[in-house]
Amino acid sequence: MSFVMPERHKSTLIRHIAVALDCSPHSIASLGAAAELARLLNAELTGIYVEDINVIRMADLPFCHEIHMYTSESETFDASTLERSLKVQAKAARESLLRIAENLMIRQSFRVSRGVVPEEVIAAAGDADLLVLGRSGRSPTCRKGLGSTARKALEEGKRPILFIRPGFSAKEWPVLVLYDGSEGSRQALAAALNIITPDITLNVLILGETHEESVEMERALSEIIALLGSTVEYHHLPLTSGKTLMRYIRMVDSGLLVLSDRMKISREEVHELINEIDYPVLLV
Amino acid sequence: MTLPSKLTPEELYRTCNPLDFGFNTTADLDCPVKATGQKRAFDAITFSMGIKHDGFNLFALGPNGTGKQTAIMHFLGTTAPEAEVPSDWCYVNNFQKPRHPKALKLPAGKAGSLARDMEHLVEALFTVIPAAFSSEEYQAQEKNIHEKFQEQQADAIGELEKKGAEEHIALIRTPAGFAFAPEKEGEVLKPEEFMMLKKEERDSIEEKIIALKTAMQSIMAQIPKWQRETLEKIKDLNRNIASFTVKPLIAEIRNSYEAIQEVTGYLETLEADIIENFDQFLEKEADPRESLMGVYSGKFSQKRASFIRYQINVIVDNSITEGAPVVYEDKPACQNLVGDIEHISHMGTLVTDFTLIKQGALHRANGGYLLIDARRLLFEPFAYEALKKALRTRQIRIESLAQLYSLVSTVSLEPEPIPLDIKVILLGERSLYNILSVYDPDFSELFKVAADFEDELPGDIDGKLAYASIISSIVHKDKLHHFDRTAVARIVEHGSRLAEDSSKLSAHIQSICDLVHESDYYAASAKKTFVQAEDVQKAIDAKIFRSSRIREKIREATLKDSILIETDSEKIGQINGLAIYSPGGQSFGHPGRITARVRLGKGEVIDIEREVEMGGPIHSKGVMILSGFLGARFAIDQPLSLSASLVFEQSYSGVEGDSASSAELYALLSAISGAPIRQYFAVTGSVNQFGQVQAIGGVNEKIEGFFDLCKARELTGKQGVLIPVSNVHNLMLRNDVVEAVRQGLFSIIPVSDVDEGIEILTGIPAGELDTTGKYPPDTINGMAVARLNEMAEKLKKFTSSSDDDNQ
Repeated sequence: MSFVMPERHKSTLIRHIAVALDCSPHSIASLGAAAELARLLNAELTGIYVEDINVIRMADLPFCHEIHMYTSESETFDASTLERSLKVQAKAARESLLRIAENLMIRQSFRVSRGVVPEEVIAAAGDADLLVLGRSGRSPTCRKGLGSTARKALEEGKRPILFIRPGFSAKEWPVLVLYDGSEGSRQALAAALNIITPDITLNVLILGETHEESVEMERALSEIIALLGSTVEYHHLPLTSGKTLMRYIRMVDSGLLVLSDRMKISREEVHELINEIDYPVLLV
Repeated sequence: MTLPSKLTPEELYRTCNPLDFGFNTTADLDCPVKATGQKRAFDAITFSMGIKHDGFNLFALGPNGTGKQTAIMHFLGTTAPEAEVPSDWCYVNNFQKPRHPKALKLPAGKAGSLARDMEHLVEALFTVIPAAFSSEEYQAQEKNIHEKFQEQQADAIGELEKKGAEEHIALIRTPAGFAFAPEKEGEVLKPEEFMMLKKEERDSIEEKIIALKTAMQSIMAQIPKWQRETLEKIKDLNRNIASFTVKPLIAEIRNSYEAIQEVTGYLETLEADIIENFDQFLEKEADPRESLMGVYSGKFSQKRASFIRYQINVIVDNSITEGAPVVYEDKPACQNLVGDIEHISHMGTLVTDFTLIKQGALHRANGGYLLIDARRLLFEPFAYEALKKALRTRQIRIESLAQLYSLVSTVSLEPEPIPLDIKVILLGERSLYNILSVYDPDFSELFKVAADFEDELPGDIDGKLAYASIISSIVHKDKLHHFDRTAVARIVEHGSRLAEDSSKLSAHIQSICDLVHESDYYAASAKKTFVQAEDVQKAIDAKIFRSSRIREKIREATLKDSILIETDSEKIGQINGLAIYSPGGQSFGHPGRITARVRLGKGEVIDIEREVEMGGPIHSKGVMILSGFLGARFAIDQPLSLSASLVFEQSYSGVEGDSASSAELYALLSAISGAPIRQYFAVTGSVNQFGQVQAIGGVNEKIEGFFDLCKARELTGKQGVLIPVSNVHNLMLRNDVVEAVRQGLFSIIPVSDVDEGIEILTGIPAGELDTTGKYPPDTINGMAVARLNEMAEKLKKFTSSSDDDNQ
């Protein structure tokens, strides 16, 4: 079996990173991770803030009331107050971007748009090489799975995309790549090699249909990766369902998971895995 | 009258026969120092140390250097090791009231091991507690609790969201909270779309939104309660985990100390505190701002604070003490006695905690004996009062002086007092004891026993052997050359000289100790194996020489006749008295001229020294006694018709003492009678109204002073000194004086009354009353009476002629 490894710094070249900001804990974690990556890859960082059109519309509906989070009291919307609140939130997002960019000495830009949040985020990130999103945003239900924007981005097919949750740092996370020999998994591996620093060990989980195939894939990979000088550890698992994979990933405490939804496992299973797994994910 | 005979050389110096000693050198002796000749003091010490009641503390009184401390140490050295070893004491944190640290009593030697155990415990807690709290089990349980809360919240809101969605009403996050709004295909209806709806539809939507809003508000009102419940659950979990981790470690310590109730009690409170404050053992990321503030910040400071919180401050550790402790406090300052609470400067303020409580001598000596120099104690501010307070209340209460007198204004501690069971022994001079007895009512309550140390030892064989053992112990202790028995004998003789009594020995051990060291130096310089009598003599001579500058200056002035002293001729109304000078502790004698002149008058004796306020009260008293003597002897039948004046010639400083009163009387008798006095004699001795000559002090130095002058001018064989007969036993004269007497070049004559003395000094008998009540005319008294009669006549004639003139 033979394949050609995508050339580093070429096909997966990341020069522009977009990050969605809404001042939620997930988005703050996203900003941190995106900024670290931008510094590592010497890329430009664009912060995207979307003024939710649904909220603005509510201000014009007289019977809509805002229920305050910490007092549970309600009051009617005041258009000017609402506008001011949105501006304040945008300003806070911009300031956090500026602060981190200054600390890490990276180029940055900031965009504010108005519309339905998921669509606007995806549209605004259109020209970026990587979109960084919080796994969930300011969702009222504090749900466990992906938020509406993340779900939309996943379904719309925007790639590569990085889903972040708080508690992980881009500087020191362990990285696990799923590799099954498919084109998608090769791109995932290339992307992983691109974003790791030399002192981080890259874990490659080889999903072979047979033992021989797995061994062969490892041999082929090690020959190519040896040229790049990265430290790699190989793990093997028979090609299996998304649920088994999820258990394995939780067991090894993978850190950043790098994978593609164009692998031998079905696209739906990959999406289900991303929705359920509580780790940052880079989908290529 | 039979005149007293001159003293023989044997009477001038009592030699110590080296053959009295059964040893050759002090190397043969290894006996410890005993308080020989101090029976009274020793009985008092035994009594005081033996009696267990309050207030029977001891005051050892006597001059400095008499070996009070040595004797007491010797006594305690035999009794203290037999006594029970007192308990250890330590201070621990009072978790409920940190300002009042608790005192723990432990059996001897246990405090140190408890302190080590606690240190190990805290070290272990820094490992096991983080391990327990970072374990997967704990993390999973904690996550479960949090997730349960999240789920509870999400389920409640999610249900509402779902209910809304069925009615096409969306739940939307706003900048400050939530809101419900009608939606269509995932977007909120625009106002114009809404207005296009039928009124019924609009009303229905509004009603639904109000209902959803109310439901949402009731859910949100419950969230704080859920949060509290979650926190409580987390707290319980933490407590359980901490308790499970900590209990076995503390149980292990408890097993080692289960017999000590105080420790087990403390361990219980400690366990509760550790469980309650388990988070201090969890590693936290240091605040970068704090890490700029040095070693007391961040993780280090947290760790240090935990070590301090559970530290055992061992105040008394008797692990290596044998018997009862014997402590000599050299600097009895208040804080050195009762302990102190120190402070450390932390970021510009003074802070303290129970680990900064410092022990005092009372703690160290608790259950045993504490020796303090009384003078030093009284010199230290507040120290005496603090000691008395501790003895009176029978407890050691540590109070910071600075706090007590508001010298610093900072947080301080009030440690629990420690019970006190102690014998305090004060060492001091008699004057100090007397002052304290008179002026301090507490003193006699607290120091009921006085051990009065003798100044002298008996000069018998026991005393001499005591000297030998003292010398031997000094030699052993200070690793000096051993003394042979001639050297010991010479030191014994010197001891008699110091005691100013040939039948006694000085108890001033310090002087003996100095002489031993000095003699050793000369023996070592001469490269001898043993110290011999000549080395001792050399040391004595060298010491005298070192302090002889003033003495030699005075003698030089005398030889040059700047100071007029005659040692050859005979003069009326002039005599050589003997004075003692004591510059810088080393005393010496020197003759001084005393003169008397008479004139007509009313019978008074004028003391010129007193007139110019250069005479002390005792000297004035002596002169007044002379008036009494003269009056009784010569003015029974008629008043004295003379005035006499007495003076110490060339005296430019004060005169004190009555030892010259016999010399003054001889000068007066000479002046009245006109009989010249032999200037080759010098005289010392006081006199009473009956003319008896009485003992004086410093007789050896006085004789030697006159002898040195005569020797410098050449000894004629006529020269000598008249001393009171009662001073003969005090004689321990220098060898050269004794030799001169042996060769007949100098004489020492003991006199018992002035009649003997005046006859020796003038060569004319004093004279006694005959049967007619008159003195023979060729006697001093007869000549004096004739002269007085003559003066009385003159006075009578003078008085009557002046009366006639007045009429």
